[in-house]
Amino acid sequence: MVTALPPNTLAETPDLLAVLRERFPQDVLETTRRPGLLGRVVLRPEAILPVCRYLRDEQTFAHCAMVGGVDWKETREVVYHLWSDERKGYLELSLRVPAEDPHVESVAGLWPGANWHEREAWDLLGIRFDHHPDLRRLFLPEGYEFHPLLKTFELHEPEPLEVKTRHE
Amino acid sequence: MTLPTKPLPPAVQGSADGSSAPGVPFSEIETVRAKEFIPPAKEALRDVLARKGTDSLIQPVFNWAGRNSLFPLHWGLACCAIEFAAAFGARWDAERFGIVPRSSPRQCDLMIVNGTVTWKVAHKLITLYEQMPEPKWVIAMGNCATGGGPFRSAYSVVPGVDKLVPVDVYIAGCPPRPEAMLDGILRLEHLIQERRE
Ligand code: SF4
Repeated sequence: MVTALPPNTLAETPDLLAVLRERFPQDVLETTRRPGLLGRVVLRPEAILPVCRYLRDEQTFAHCAMVGGVDWKETREVVYHLWSDERKGYLELSLRVPAEDPHVESVAGLWPGANWHEREAWDLLGIRFDHHPDLRRLFLPEGYEFHPLLKTFELHEPEPLEVKTRHE
Repeated sequence: MTLPTKPLPPAVQGSADGSSAPGVPFSEIETVRAKEFIPPAKEALRDVLARKGTDSLIQPVFNWAGRNSLFPLHWGLACCAIEFAAAFGARWDAERFGIVPRSSPRQCDLMIVNGTVTWKVAHKLITLYEQMPEPKWVIAMGNCATGGGPFRSAYSVVPGVDKLVPVDVYIAGCPPRPEAMLDGILRLEHLIQERRE
């Protein structure tokens, strides 16, 4: 049985993007509407903690669905997707950090679920999250040299397969 | 008047399982007295633990017992593990070959690696291999364990479990069917029977 979702009253009113622009005039660099999202907000990297705390405590974004990253060569983008049960939608936050020293404040203190997402972004893209409780590699062993999703990482051709049993 | 005597059963010929294993016919082993049995048994045990062939009198018994009760430690790392599980279901019933999966490496003498081995799990695999008692064997099941499979050039995948531990039998397939897995185990039994290292 399919039950209809309750009418999506909060999604548009009050306009979340306008509220954010008004509340953080210095920190919100750009807001865009995106199909399928409540909106996309580009932030200054230093502002991530206050904005996230405000969104969680006063704008019902109780769930951090994803923290990921993009390698744009000179800069690296960190992308957050926040979910609100009341608004029934995702809000996308984005910020850019320089590639020479990519680091941003961790949001694992606000949403414990962000812990492993940030470890993944560190493991594969080399973005450091300051004040993260346990910033170890997630998928690759400790001591692995590279962050393999960076554009500068080169896959080597596998050596030809040579199968030998100890019975030969 | 002579009473009719019951004819004696013919002596068992060949080694214990009736196959042509090298060594002494099983019937001769039965005639060894208990005290005489101890030194060759010790000798054979020492040789078996050293993973080498032995000329001891009871080597066929050791080979027979070892190869008919292979207890696998199973590395269910990826999709091939489903085929391994299916082989122990009602349709293929691998336990009729004496193969009983155990949960502790200390009870196992066969390691079946079925799945994609990543570098992260590599040192745990070596640790568990070293925890298994001698004599021990390794089967690489599926293309992933044999040579990395479709993920061979990936940054996180070990290109073949033979980079980590010595492998006795490779089973090809992505995934190999349960029949192929049983075939691989029977081939390993054949190798053990022939006392090859
Ligand atoms: S060989 Fe194929 S089926 Fe087996 S673990 Fe690898 S990808 Fe999966």
